[in-house]
Amino acid sequence: MRVAVLILLLALAACSAPPEPAPEPISCASGTTGGQGSSAQTSALQAWIKAYQIACPDATIAYAGTGSGAGVRAFLDGEGDFAGTDSALSGQDLRKAAERCGGPVVHLPLVAGPIALAYNVAGVGELRLTPETIAEIFSGKVTAWDDPAIAATNPLAALPSTAIRTIHRADGSGTTDNFTRYLAAAAPGRWPHGAGSTWRAPGGTGEKGSHRVVAAVGRTDGAIGYVESSYALLNDLPVVRIGPAGGPFTEPTNSAVAGALLRATITDDLRIAPRYDGTADYAYPLVLISYELVCRTGTPALTRSFLAYAAGPSGQAAAGSALPEELRTRVEQSVLALT
Amino acid sequence: MVRNETPVRLRLLSALTAAAAAALLLATGLVMARVQDQVRVIGHQAAPQAVTAAGLYFALSDLDAQATRILLAGDEDTLAGSRLDALGAYRERGRQIDAGLQDLLAAGAGDLERRLVTEVRDGLAVYRQRIGQALAAQPHSAAEALGHYTQATNVLHLDLLPDAARLRAVSEERLTRAYEAKRGTEATADAVVVLLGGALLILLAGLQVWLARRFRRTWNPALAAATALSLALLVAVSSVAGAQERRLTGARVDALEPYLALSELRAVGYDAAADTSRYLVSGNLAHYREDFTVKSRQLRALDPVAGERWQAYERGHERILALTDAGRRDEAITVLTGIRRGDAAFDFAYFDAAVAAVTDVQKTDFDRGLRDAERVLTGAVVLPVVTLVVIIGLIGIGVRRRLAEYR
Repeated sequence: MRVAVLILLLALAACSAPPEPAPEPISCASGTTGGQGSSAQTSALQAWIKAYQIACPDATIAYAGTGSGAGVRAFLDGEGDFAGTDSALSGQDLRKAAERCGGPVVHLPLVAGPIALAYNVAGVGELRLTPETIAEIFSGKVTAWDDPAIAATNPLAALPSTAIRTIHRADGSGTTDNFTRYLAAAAPGRWPHGAGSTWRAPGGTGEKGSHRVVAAVGRTDGAIGYVESSYALLNDLPVVRIGPAGGPFTEPTNSAVAGALLRATITDDLRIAPRYDGTADYAYPLVLISYELVCRTGTPALTRSFLAYAAGPSGQAAAGSALPEELRTRVEQSVLALT
Repeated sequence: MVRNETPVRLRLLSALTAAAAAALLLATGLVMARVQDQVRVIGHQAAPQAVTAAGLYFALSDLDAQATRILLAGDEDTLAGSRLDALGAYRERGRQIDAGLQDLLAAGAGDLERRLVTEVRDGLAVYRQRIGQALAAQPHSAAEALGHYTQATNVLHLDLLPDAARLRAVSEERLTRAYEAKRGTEATADAVVVLLGGALLILLAGLQVWLARRFRRTWNPALAAATALSLALLVAVSSVAGAQERRLTGARVDALEPYLALSELRAVGYDAAADTSRYLVSGNLAHYREDFTVKSRQLRALDPVAGERWQAYERGHERILALTDAGRRDEAITVLTGIRRGDAAFDFAYFDAAVAAVTDVQKTDFDRGLRDAERVLTGAVVLPVVTLVVIIGLIGIGVRRRLAEYR
């Protein structure tokens, strides 16, 4: 009888739920590798480096957040095994990179996220703006929060007559580059200042670094500034919903960015040209895409292994990146094709 | 006379046997339902509460560590990423603490726990206010920022952490009481099995023998089946009660208690690592050097992997303090925040990963032990009740024909 009871207990134990799947193991390599470049990628790179070094005791990886421009120059000069940049290479840089690599250079879009417009306006908890109005605000043409252009998309908001105080980056930055590219493409008639990593529009207040931009927005009544969305989120600042005049207006979230990236034009070598024409499918068009540059051949095994982890589901989750799965898979395949 | 006594005795013996079975049915059902409920209380209230209280202590320790990182990064361009990371972790710990306090209140907290939770909430409000003042003062006056920070970290170490430790102790006592209550019920279950079960078996055997002698029959199949079922039931009840007890006690001794102890040491590790930052933030206050040394002694005794990694952090700590004492603050901050091997931020993450790997396994083992104990008790009320109803039916069937002879 005791045997029967034990059989019953064992049968019940066999019905136990299967263990939760463990995260996929990192395929480790050993040695030392390093890169430099985009400061916007620093947080993601730090998360990846920590996780990789913890899992792989024989690996040492270094990354210096020197800024995209300096990072690309160093890479072209033969320094480091990879570079981080917030803008894809083009023209002369692309040719120089091919010379450095002795073959094609590969763009790996590993970090993507929304650029948010953080604001500080009395009595306004939700703000909806069109690209045209955003361009006019940052051009200094719309100067008060109760301007009819703002009121038109915010009919229920009690907009104050407070003066608008725009805050922009004083230093060269990938965030400025992506923001001005968006304005130049989405509101070409209202944004005559072109695109680039240096702020070119008149007026406003310049602050060095995203941390100072959010600090300035936070302490200035009537302020609005552009930052990577994590800065706005972690500093508890409200953010603008963007959309065409008839709506819908979309919040800066990773899923909305993924929606925008699905509609982007992506070249065979993974350079991404986002579409800036509205948010009809609830995509958030104001995105920051940051790339890793590596040589297609001659990249060390450790660099390839590290980037494969970064492009994998665990790496993307650790970085809080917004790459849609389809694009992530393409990036991962590109990494695996490196030799 | 003999003919008149026989039906009376038959009815009496049958009624006694059925009554013993009914009493066993009632007692087993009640006792097993009580055991099930007590296992549920342990698994879904007392143990999670102990885990939450341990998590609260850990989260409070890390809250101050992150606040220290935010202050240390200040307005430095090179540390903007570190500041943002610390800000995110500070907010997350804050949420974890608020949710933990709410959970402690929700899970049937007593007066003492309610008072402690209220005190922690009050203290936390003061702590957050002081940190806010420190951050607001930092761009204008480092001395003012330090003044507010000193108050904040004092509130945390002198009020909040001791209250959290008391909450942890109260939760662990509650868990111990829940286990003791369950053991009491199990002792009752054993007594029920021995006394009522034994009585039932004796009565069934007696009835069988009496019928065989009185009616000159060798075997009553229904009563034999009832006897066999009774025996199987008693063995099963005893085995199930023992199996769940072994699983639940094993889960506590082998998994939950080591998990709680290691969680406490993990919190000490976070607090000790924050002492490295506090030394820099405070302008080389010896108190934080000494505080680190005391905490560090506890951590060296950890398992070989975690202990060895902690010693690597200690070496980084000493290097940072030496650089700070030599006036090379920028270099000290680079070592403190760097993530190369040998830099403090990486060495601490490396140490923490070793501890987390162990605590994750321990927590999973406890959860599995609890699930196993609950699974063992599946049907522990229904099956005995159904079996005893069948036994009573078999007794009726066994004596029905003999009684019919006297109608």
